[in-house]
Parts: sequence; structure tokens; C-alpha cells
Amino acid sequence: MNDEDQATHSEPALDLPVSHSLRDLRSLRVCVFHPHDSDGAQLTQQLQRIGCNVHAFWPPLASPPPGTDIVFIALCPDILIDIDDWSTVDEAPPTIAVLNYENPTVMEAMLRINAQAVVTSPIRSFGLLSVLVLAREIGRERKKMRKRIMRLEEKLGSSRKVSSAQEILCRQRGVSKDEAYRIMREQAMAKRMTVEDIASAIINASDILSSGR
Amino acid sequence: MADTEVIKVGVLFSQTGVTSAIESSQLCGTLFAIREINGSGGIAGRELVPISYDPGSDPVKYRKFAEQLILTDDVQVIFGCYMSSARKAVLPVVERWNRLLFYATLYEGFEYSENVIYTGAAPNQNSVQLADFMTSNFGARVYLVGSNYIYPYESNRIMSDLVSQYRGGSKLGERYVRLDATEHDFEEIVKEIGSTRPDFIFSTVVGNATQHFYRAYAHAGFDPASMPIASLTTSEVEVAQMGADIAAGHFTAAPYFSSITSSTNQACLEKFGRVFDSQTTPNASWEAAYFQVHLFAQAMLTAGSADIETLMPALLGTEFDAPQGRVSIDPSTHHTNLNPRIGRVNREGQFDVVWEAPAPIRPDPYLVTHRLGDWMVR
Repeated sequence: MNDEDQATHSEPALDLPVSHSLRDLRSLRVCVFHPHDSDGAQLTQQLQRIGCNVHAFWPPLASPPPGTDIVFIALCPDILIDIDDWSTVDEAPPTIAVLNYENPTVMEAMLRINAQAVVTSPIRSFGLLSVLVLAREIGRERKKMRKRIMRLEEKLGSSRKVSSAQEILCRQRGVSKDEAYRIMREQAMAKRMTVEDIASAIINASDILSSGR
Repeated sequence: MADTEVIKVGVLFSQTGVTSAIESSQLCGTLFAIREINGSGGIAGRELVPISYDPGSDPVKYRKFAEQLILTDDVQVIFGCYMSSARKAVLPVVERWNRLLFYATLYEGFEYSENVIYTGAAPNQNSVQLADFMTSNFGARVYLVGSNYIYPYESNRIMSDLVSQYRGGSKLGERYVRLDATEHDFEEIVKEIGSTRPDFIFSTVVGNATQHFYRAYAHAGFDPASMPIASLTTSEVEVAQMGADIAAGHFTAAPYFSSITSSTNQACLEKFGRVFDSQTTPNASWEAAYFQVHLFAQAMLTAGSADIETLMPALLGTEFDAPQGRVSIDPSTHHTNLNPRIGRVNREGQFDVVWEAPAPIRPDPYLVTHRLGDWMVR
């Protein structure tokens, strides 16, 4: 509470650059799926105060409008079974659940929609900004991670292919692994293909040749 | 009959502690407005009765007295708080009992409560204009000094952000001192200012410590004509504390200076002087404390009750011809449409207004990224 007591001497301050999640607030397109009641009004009004572009719908649309950056969705008991699975696709915008109940049914729905943050009813203006920033940041991180995982998976697949092609060459030509790789790379350069493509070709050819035996 | 019953209102301004001088001026502004209202027949014949405590610049006491005002004295409305830490302490209390706090102080923004009316400036009503003025006239290399609490942190963040948008803009230093700092606490800072030579200094030092910083600056032999201090919190009160010779040449941005020549302001000052003589020095926080009581009285006259649910609709959108000019409450943010100005202290310890907004500026308390010039109505 008493931040003022912390320092007895003058001290240099930390440099805290404003993160993207904060800077972007005013350009955010926020989709609100919430009944038009006092909570819904409180929610949309505070989002407008913060400066976001807010579009509110109830009942929820089949999916948020294209270009939506973030979604608030009230997990009202009567819509739980009807929630479409837009929220689970990879490119879904970060989702914030608005909760009236905290029972297992609602908890499961919260997990099912992949919520990145939660606000509870009755909605207060205080706390919405933090939830918004946090969900946006987590959404951004997840997207980055997904991209990274995809890249790694591709790399892993390709290196597996290259390695089995190397083994085939070693066996059939009696060369070392390094030599096998050199041969593949030479072929790739000559044919303007990737080493991975050459590897696939070798594997396929080897499959055909061995199946004929 | 209920119609002639007095209307009790709570008043929480510190007459002791680190921000006693400026808060005492807010207390005088509040009591002055109450006196004016009672002098012209009260609110539909009902007398306003202030119940006032001295929280001693201590957030814990603010909370305690706010509870006492609500639970024991049964007030619906509280006028008070200066530092953000005091407002944050009172906020949960008024929200819990659904009462109304009128907050007459500039602050760092990023707040909205159904139970608060904010009549001081938000950063888009003082910082942006000050940054624009200082960078255009002196340059964009700034040194930041502040008291060690949340208001200076956020105000300095905004100022750094603003100057960085300016060509050649940079932050040469950022230092914080304790709230009860003495001249000694500023020695090292003044030395650093001397070696870094900024184009201007932005001070968010608040309260009684302010005078010590300006004094340390003066004693180091610096010249306000080439490297002035710019502030949002150095008002006529702090200038009186340090003396005009120390303060002359430095800048402050605020919606009100007592030097404003309008007839409304001059009449108000004259009346105030007659009643309160030389108890305090009128300044922007005094003026906000003064006009917010009038906004309350007007709304209450319309609504007929001080109960927040009845009063609020009447209050939102209420207008008043304040000493700074026309002010009104913005219904969407509960903040106030104000008239930003920039003043330079003259040899008499008064502010010469060197710039003023041509029209009231709408409050935008949730503005993260301020842009130089984007608020202008040139």
C-alpha cells in the first residue's frame, strides 16, 4: 500500500516501455456476446471508455465477425450446449469468459471455449483493462508458440526423411553418412530442388524397388 | 418535515501531514462553496452542513474517516482526497455502501467508478498540452523528478512517451524522492541535472516537498529562462511556500490559475478573500474543490435527494460557470470537461497565462498512448 515508503534515497527508475498489448488498445475490435442486461451494459461501456471498438451481440453469432481481435462471451447456462466450435480453431481470437456460475458444467464450458481469461458477474469496471491486456498477450504468445511448433514439426519431419534417405544410400552405395548427404545435396542443387524433396524421391524409389523383390 | 432537514456532507482534506498545504486550500474551497450555497437559501431551503475530519495525509486514516462519515454520520456524499493513495483507500468504502465521492484533484487517469465524480484534470487535459508547449519552446530532452508513488510514475511514463514522439526527444534521467523529502534529498538530483543539461525538467514532486526541489534548483544557480521546471502539481500554494523569487520563470499546466482575469473569477476571488482572508492561496485544486460543491448543489436541487441513484442522472451533464470557465461532467467517464492552460510564474508569485485551450477539452482517462497535437482544437 505504501509505495511511498519504499525508497529513502532517490533512485533511478526502471524503464518500462509500453508493450504492444497496451498500445493497440484503441484499435482493438472487440466482440461481446452477452445478454443486453446491466452486466452487458457495464461491460460494453467500460470497453468503450477504454477506447476499443465494441460490437455486442446476443444470442452469440455462429462465429465472431471477421477481423475480431478479442471476444467476450457470457457462459450463460442456456447457451452452453449451443456454443459453436469457432473458439477452438487455431486462428480463433483470444476469448474471455464471463461467468455467472462457478459449477463444473460452466468450468468445462470455459475450458472447451479455450478461454484465456475470465471476468465474473457482477461486472465492475475495475479489472476489465487488466483482463483485456492479459488475454491479448496470452493470445499473442499462443499464436507465436503455434507457429514455432509448426516450424519445428516441419523441420523434424524433414530431418527424419533426410536421415532415412541417407541410410538407404549408405546401404545401396556403400558410402558413409556424410558422403550420402553430399550426394543428395549435389542432386538437389543440380535439379533445383530441396534436399528434403530428393530424400523423398530416394525413399519412394527404394520402396518401389524393394516391393518388387 | 423532511424538506427542511439539513443535508450533511462529508469533507476529507488533510490539514496536517505532507500534503497539508494544498489540501487545506481544497478544504477552504469546499467550505466557501457551502457557505455561498447556504447564503443564498441552501438547496431548496435545506442547509448544507459539512462534517469534516483531518486524515493527516495518511491513506489508512482516509479509509477510517470515510467509514465513520458513512456509518456514524450518515452522509451520502464525501468531498475529498488529494493523493491517489487516499482516493484508492476511500474507493472501496464508497463502493461498498454505494455513496458518492467528489475528487477534486488532477490524477494519472485509468479509473472509472460509478461512485466517483472526478473534477481534476486527466493527463489528456494537462500533460499533453504541457509536453507540446515545453518541447516547442525549449526542446525535447527532458529530466524527470517525482515523489515516490503511483501518480508520478504514471505521469512520468506519459511525459517520456510524449517527448519520445518529438524529434530529438529523449529522457536524460528519472528520479524519485520520498514524500517528505527535504532539500538534502535533491542534492544528487540537482547535480545530475547540472551534468546532463536537459532542455527542461518535468517535476511530479508533490506537496510540501515541492518547495525544497525548486530551492535546490535555485541554489545550484540554474536559469529558468534556459532550463525551466515544468509541473502539473506546482500551484500557487507551492509557489507561496517557496517564495516568488525561487519560483519565477517556471511553468505549470492546470485548468485554473488565480490570475485569470474573467469577471467570474475576479468576483469569486474577491468574495473568497472577504470570508477566508489570507487562510489559503487559491489554486486549481482549490477551484475544483469549489466548483464541484456547486455542481452537487445544482444536481441535488434538480433531483431532490442526495441519494446516489437519484442524484447521478441529474449530476451527469450538469454544467457550471466555474472560475476557470464553463465546466460540465462527462456522462460516460464521470470526469470533467475542463479548460487547459499553461502558466509561467511571475515576480509576484502569480501565474502569467502563456497559453490556453480555445475550448473545453473532453476527459479521456483511459488514453494509453498520448500523441502530441492530437487533442488540439487550433
